[in-house]
Amino acid sequence: MADAAPLPEAAVAAERLTKRYGSLTAVEDLTFSVAPGEIVGFLGPNGAGKSSTMRILAGTMAGTSGRAAIWGVSVALEPAEAKRHMAYMPENNPLPEDLKVEEYLLLRARLKDVPADRVAARVAKVMEDCDLARRAARQLIGQLSKGFRQRVGIADALLAEPKVVILDEPTIGLDPHQIVGIRDLIRSLRGKMAVLISSHILHEVEQVCDKVVIINRGRLVAQGRPADLRRELIPTANFTVVTRATLADVTRATLGAEPTALVEALGETEGWTRYRLALPAASPARETLATALIAAGLPLREIAEERIGLEDIFIAATRRAPAELRRP
Amino acid sequence: MRHFRTLLAHELRAAVLAGGTWVSAALFLALMGAVHWFAVLDGAEAPQTATPLEATFQLFWIPLLCVLPLLTMRSFAEERRQGTLAALLTTPASPAAVVWSKFTAVWLTWLAFWGAFAAFPALVAQRLGTAGDFRLGDPVVLGGGLAFIAVSGLLHVALGIFCSCLTRSSALAALLTFVGLLAFTAAGGALEKLPIESWEWLGWLREPAAHLRTFSHMEDFTRGILDARPFVLYASGMLLCLGLAVLTVEGQE
Repeated sequence: MADAAPLPEAAVAAERLTKRYGSLTAVEDLTFSVAPGEIVGFLGPNGAGKSSTMRILAGTMAGTSGRAAIWGVSVALEPAEAKRHMAYMPENNPLPEDLKVEEYLLLRARLKDVPADRVAARVAKVMEDCDLARRAARQLIGQLSKGFRQRVGIADALLAEPKVVILDEPTIGLDPHQIVGIRDLIRSLRGKMAVLISSHILHEVEQVCDKVVIINRGRLVAQGRPADLRRELIPTANFTVVTRATLADVTRATLGAEPTALVEALGETEGWTRYRLALPAASPARETLATALIAAGLPLREIAEERIGLEDIFIAATRRAPAELRRP
Repeated sequence: MRHFRTLLAHELRAAVLAGGTWVSAALFLALMGAVHWFAVLDGAEAPQTATPLEATFQLFWIPLLCVLPLLTMRSFAEERRQGTLAALLTTPASPAAVVWSKFTAVWLTWLAFWGAFAAFPALVAQRLGTAGDFRLGDPVVLGGGLAFIAVSGLLHVALGIFCSCLTRSSALAALLTFVGLLAFTAAGGALEKLPIESWEWLGWLREPAAHLRTFSHMEDFTRGILDARPFVLYASGMLLCLGLAVLTVEGQE
């Protein structure tokens, strides 16, 4: 028996990808990759070029220059072969209104080269996985709710067990229950398929993705694991402290622990004042601050490090000036 | 083209289930029924140069202009409007397979309409009690006429498919097809009326004009004369239109 083909270094590779619409540059010199089995969030403000990039990667739109590859296969040079490794759910998930869910999935399975003897089993499996089997299988797609339509789109994406799944805003328009369901479904793909997912719901992306790629005005502004980006993009660690001590006392105690710290009073309630203490992210005082404040005799009611979410990383990354982006 | 059969089966099924197809079929059969009945009545009232069946086929342009655009208009325009064409092209199916499957489905539907019309002469003969009288339903005229519809339909349907690729609006696609078919059919008819033979400076046009005479082709077919030149004209026109359609679909990706 022949050995299994070796895994490519990148399941998805965008190399210096550029897309221009006349004088408008939607995507410029964009380079990033998704490793096999990795779930990557693709983020950016509206109009940043996310959908254009995804469409180029999916082979539904030609790039102006650069290279897009799926599982090591050039999307431009061998589109049919690249599409065989990949499934793409476009934004707004267009579906034929006049087909039943099961009929649609059967058709898509045949078009995606699922072996004839496995078509029915694969359709049944994805309908079960996407919770379509009981309530929606025999309904016309045109009669489905937004949530079920999204499920049909995801079921279609998973049909042929592709190596790469590209999902453009898969949770848009869904209610919280549906979002949790889709999130769990995507999470279950980790290690089995490479997933590139764009979403405006950063909390969702943070919970699901191993890595994020952030673009702004068509250019890459950050990529990496959220923890690494946190260190790179947000150089301070903020603590909230609630105490009866004065600003001078809090400042003195904080500077004793970290001489470069900044202290700011946020407000007072019933004699308790809330302060924000900003320390360098790399300062060892992050671990000793509470001890230092107590040792200074401050009457503390609360001390907590503010959580830096993906939202903060996103805002910090998309605020970076173009000159800063070009820095090696 | 590996997915052609899958796509064709889907297109045929969609055509059978679409209400628009049945409305078009009803319109077609009503039109052709009326045309044929009036041709029979004319033949009963006074001697005619053409049999009722020949006279009916001479009016092939009525359903061509009124019904065929209804069949082709939705093929791509509606898919582009819904965005499902882009989704279809994310599969390994090639744009050529998509275009050819839609073309073949409409062409077969068009032939099915005309196939249904083939029952009319028999129905008329039964109604009038003249079964066996070939003046009402000469099999050569009927077979030749249907062969003309099949061969010319290659180009006519391909033109409609190409027009449907150009727009997201089904109505506009139908209008473009109507104008295209009218121009092609009328061009042949207009050239037939021109005394090209007597105009020396138009001598170079004589040969190409002879190829474009759609009505002459139809008359030849109904007389049982099968010439290779119409086949070449309609087949090459079909290839041109479908090639342009494939390029248009690829360009829209």
